Amino acid sequence: MPENRVESKGIVKEDIAYEPYTIAMGPQHPATHGVLKLNLELDGETVLKCTPHVGFLHRGVEKLAENLSYAQTLPLSDRLDYIASMANNVAYSIAVERLLGIEVPVRAKYIRTIVMEMARLTGHLLWLATHALDIGAMTVFLYCFRERENLLDMFEEIIGARLTTSYTCIGGVRQDITGHFLESLYAFTEDFPSKIAEYETLIDKNRIWLKRTQGVGIVTAEEAVSLGLTGPTLRGSGVDYDVRKHMPYDAYPYVDFEVPIGSKGDVYDRYRCRMEEMHQSNSIIRQCIEAMPPGPIRAEDAPDLVMPYGVQKEVAADATFSSGVIKLVKDRHRYMDGDVYVAAEVPKGELGFYFVSDGRGVPYRMHIRAPSFIHIAALSFLCKGQMVADVIAVIGSVDVVLGECDR
Amino acid sequence: MKIQYDTRKKLAERIFLIEILKGLALTLKRLFTKSVTVQYPKERKKLFPGFRGRHALIRDPNTQATKCVACMRCATVCPSRCISIRFSVDKKTRARKVNSYEIDALRCIFCGYCEEVCPVNAVVLTEEYEYSDYTRDPFHFDMDRLLKNWDEFLDKNKVDQDKYRNPFLRPRGLSLGDLPAGKRIDVPEEWTYEGQVIWKDGKAVSAKEAASE
Repeated sequence: MPENRVESKGIVKEDIAYEPYTIAMGPQHPATHGVLKLNLELDGETVLKCTPHVGFLHRGVEKLAENLSYAQTLPLSDRLDYIASMANNVAYSIAVERLLGIEVPVRAKYIRTIVMEMARLTGHLLWLATHALDIGAMTVFLYCFRERENLLDMFEEIIGARLTTSYTCIGGVRQDITGHFLESLYAFTEDFPSKIAEYETLIDKNRIWLKRTQGVGIVTAEEAVSLGLTGPTLRGSGVDYDVRKHMPYDAYPYVDFEVPIGSKGDVYDRYRCRMEEMHQSNSIIRQCIEAMPPGPIRAEDAPDLVMPYGVQKEVAADATFSSGVIKLVKDRHRYMDGDVYVAAEVPKGELGFYFVSDGRGVPYRMHIRAPSFIHIAALSFLCKGQMVADVIAVIGSVDVVLGECDR
Repeated sequence: MKIQYDTRKKLAERIFLIEILKGLALTLKRLFTKSVTVQYPKERKKLFPGFRGRHALIRDPNTQATKCVACMRCATVCPSRCISIRFSVDKKTRARKVNSYEIDALRCIFCGYCEEVCPVNAVVLTEEYEYSDYTRDPFHFDMDRLLKNWDEFLDKNKVDQDKYRNPFLRPRGLSLGDLPAGKRIDVPEEWTYEGQVIWKDGKAVSAKEAASE
């Protein structure tokens, strides 16, 4: 803390009680990626304390889910991380499927892996665009949105919406993919590495970019683990943890990819991690397209959209076409009692869904482990002792979305 | 995979701003390529079939009324509960007659569940997205308004109703047994379960074709 002694223009004033200067950064600040408010206590330009304030975008998704059936909650998961909503759909679906004990057909698994990696690309592209814009590189912003637009067009082709996709359903996907989609996506993946090279030409060795990012917001591996960081933010510090590798879901066991890991844990390391992840996502998409198997896109025992209890059809043993062919059996205890936690690797980190079920068609309690929420909690640690301008770089590097944080 | 990077610069790079010149050369090169911007009000992008836009009730060409049978599936599945239906039951035939069908478009979250579960393909989200207004009233669609939305959609896009195919009317990639009778409409070969596409030799082909070869 500063002393009670101020020296200005050669005049020394003693016993003046002075406190650190407090400013509120946000919630309208354009560089806080939404409605994040940071209360900064400053000594000159050095941040003494940084207190994040969240909750401006709270919509009560977890409480709403208690009154909606599992299928009805799925469109709400679009509104968590709205820049990569496909990834949330998949994460939500695999959690409910684990609860219900449904095995998804192989084709649906491959389709889901494709859209999940496309969502990772859209998320990372928007992250790179806004992160670079915050630090001062305008052109990267425009170039990233050029590619993101192509990906959103493909989302529109398969499901009819660009942002709030609601693509998956419990037990598969809602719509099959088309040939035009596969061909345009494959053409995109052939072209995309050259686009990443363009972004790297602009900022990778740029001396302004290096000065703004290297040695800023350092978090060591131990600190990162104890702060609960996940995703590229954790891997930038050198911790090898990726849900796709360690708890594989969907088609990830069948594809070959590597997890990029940084070393120092500064903003530049996290930036490099995400750039390498884009290359890996690109290769995963290619492998999935080439190995796309034919087959059904929904599991046979997938619950009906309308009926949360799942009416099961049972064919009577002595059935002929004219005499009572199908008996409907209402099995109310299809949903298991108990709880389940399932995580998936979304662009931001580990998105987990925790369900407590009491056997009804609606969850007794749903909890979302949102990576953005935990990353924002780490901001006060990361920003301590940094300059005010570096706070912007740190916010960009941990990659938060307030829709997911406040949910 | 450990990321290897070396940001140390050679002497020439430190003095001559080479990396910045490379970036400038890239932006200059882009100046002479084709623009990707769509000048929106003057030119519009072509939407893909199945874009989830303004709601409509399909007008039955035979009766000039709605096809809705008041099964209440759409009102039940709607996550935001924006659909309200009133119906009466004929005492003799036990047939349901829709008295009112209302959609509050401002509550709607455009998930497309209603059109997916509709067993007779009555309600649909059309590919119409420019319908902003100054007050709330125009977004409270009653049955007449919804039928009019359908007519306007057909007129504006010059669509023939018989040829109009929306992937939500018959979800792509499902076999016929999974669908109620009203949803078993003819769709392009590619949308059917038999015609689903896989990847072979650098292009997308239908699985049936690939198997026969």
